[in-house]
Amino acid sequence: MTSRSKIGRTGNHPDLLAGLIFIVVGALGLWGGRDLRMGSAAMMGPGYLPLIVSGLIVLIGLGVTIMGLLRSNEPLEVVRLRPLLIILLAIAGFAYAAGSLGFIIAVAWLIGVGSLADPETRLREVAASIVVLTIFGILVFILGLGVQMQLGPF
Amino acid sequence: MEFLDSLILGFSTAATPTNLLFCLIGALLGTLIGVLPGIGPTATLAILLPITFFLPPLAALIMLAGIFYGAQYGGSTTAILVNLPGEASSVVTALDGYQMAKQGRAGAALAIAALGSFFAGTVSTIGLAVAGPTLASFALDFGPAEYFSLTVFGLLCATILASGSVIKAIGMIGIGLLLGWVGTDVNSGSERLTFGAVELFDGIEFVVIAVGLFGIAEIITNLESPETRGLIATKITRLWPTREDFRKAWPAVLRGTGLGTFLGILPGGGATLSAFSAYTLEKKVSRRPQEFGRGAIQGVAGPEAANNAGAQSSFIPLLTLGIPSNAVMAMLLGAMTIHGITPGPSVMHNQPDLFWGLIASMWIGNLMLLVINLPLIGLWVKLLTVPYRLLYPAILLFCCVGVYSVSNRAFDVALAVGFGFLGYLFRKAKCEPGPLLLGFVLGPLLETNLRRAMLISQGSPTVFIERPISLVLLLASLALFILLLVPAIRKTREDAFVEEEA
Repeated sequence: MTSRSKIGRTGNHPDLLAGLIFIVVGALGLWGGRDLRMGSAAMMGPGYLPLIVSGLIVLIGLGVTIMGLLRSNEPLEVVRLRPLLIILLAIAGFAYAAGSLGFIIAVAWLIGVGSLADPETRLREVAASIVVLTIFGILVFILGLGVQMQLGPF
Repeated sequence: MEFLDSLILGFSTAATPTNLLFCLIGALLGTLIGVLPGIGPTATLAILLPITFFLPPLAALIMLAGIFYGAQYGGSTTAILVNLPGEASSVVTALDGYQMAKQGRAGAALAIAALGSFFAGTVSTIGLAVAGPTLASFALDFGPAEYFSLTVFGLLCATILASGSVIKAIGMIGIGLLLGWVGTDVNSGSERLTFGAVELFDGIEFVVIAVGLFGIAEIITNLESPETRGLIATKITRLWPTREDFRKAWPAVLRGTGLGTFLGILPGGGATLSAFSAYTLEKKVSRRPQEFGRGAIQGVAGPEAANNAGAQSSFIPLLTLGIPSNAVMAMLLGAMTIHGITPGPSVMHNQPDLFWGLIASMWIGNLMLLVINLPLIGLWVKLLTVPYRLLYPAILLFCCVGVYSVSNRAFDVALAVGFGFLGYLFRKAKCEPGPLLLGFVLGPLLETNLRRAMLISQGSPTVFIERPISLVLLLASLALFILLLVPAIRKTREDAFVEEEA
């Protein structure tokens, strides 16, 4: 199951990544909750559980990292930046456009840019998708379900 | 008599034209998306969840339950016809189902899967209707200490039954808890973990996390691997199974139903565990185990019955105790909360029409699936030939508009981008997002009950061991935890999941 690659001969890379995520999230929790009052066990302050849990997550992260270093080599699954970046960019653009430019531009951006994530996509198909999905979206979401979003920028 | 009255109440609530319509729409939509390979019931629910916010609570729940069963059914269709299980619970169906399809018996496999699921669904609906009130009246005596211990027990069970590393699953629960606490603290009014962002003062929307972690991350991961869809083996010529098929299948369906109903009740259980256990059981009791993997109809009938029974009975802990047992139930809990319903023992007493209506609609939903699935199989198969590059933009649109529509805020969509990225990282790090979702949903409950219990006991933790139910639950949690540290058991668990991935 594990395909061996030349890069990264040591360590279990998924574990190392997991450890890193846990440490970062736990640290964020500790930092974000640094001003919260702990309180006592009888009268728990708002910071009581969040700070304890954040601390535990950091510890778990350290544990997972150490175990990842000791365990046998396992590289990360293939990471392709193209779908990752394009999809995230498409949705972020939708978020921006939804607030100011209206539904039609938001959908056109989402579908137009999002379609580029698959290299096999053809221009004509993208254009057709935009038209069909925009009309579908207006009928179902805006008119049918009453989602409150302007259609255009005005 | 009371049982009959309840059922009559349920059916009269569920069988109104509107509710029937939403049940049908849910079942159809669920099947539609469930048939698409790579999108399982959890992602399907996450994507379609926002649509139901516009409905009255019961109609919304009925539709969601329909989507859930529909996605399960759709998954079996793909598993049998193209050897691509849409979700974990139909992995085992693909083993023998696809072989049957290759031998030209796809019709029989699909029919047995549908009939077995319907039978299992009927039995476990009755089980839910019978067991529900007893459990709920038992749970009415629960105080904060019991609820705290129950939540801990539920979270631990979910860890154990999640595949992959236990310590990672616990970490994921922790992250979920933290996310659940973001926002204004009810007791003190202080902002917690908001990093000063006003948009976060009300907490993070459940849908944002669900769509990000399950929907968006799933699309990105699917796009990474080139499309690998097997061709449909043969034309489906004969749908109805032979007499011989029935003779072989019905004992497997009975066993699968029993096993699935039982396993579904366990926290962390549900469809996947049920399906795997049923397959192993069938192989064990069979006189010719060598037939398995080569098109044994029992290998389709048992797991399919079990996963449907398990899916159904996993509603029991949610509806009676208010504790979701897996990620799908966490979604439904999220949906209920958004509609202002707090699931738990009081629902049955305060809103009997809602409780019984939902139960009755489950049976109706199963019946509808049977009726719409068999004749429409040709249509679903056609859907499989639509390339992913045409489908995913539509799914993206559903995700985005869905997230936006929850509170008409563009901020939520931007936040979903972050969760999509995080979900992608989790996949690469081999961390299952299910426990995170459970932690998120149960975090506030856990904290409220802990605070209350400790306040009552004036800070003495003995309150949790003085009360017998709480003590039993905590001891059970401890036992589970110790069991996990026993190497032999850990090994069996790992083996079980390796088999699953194979």
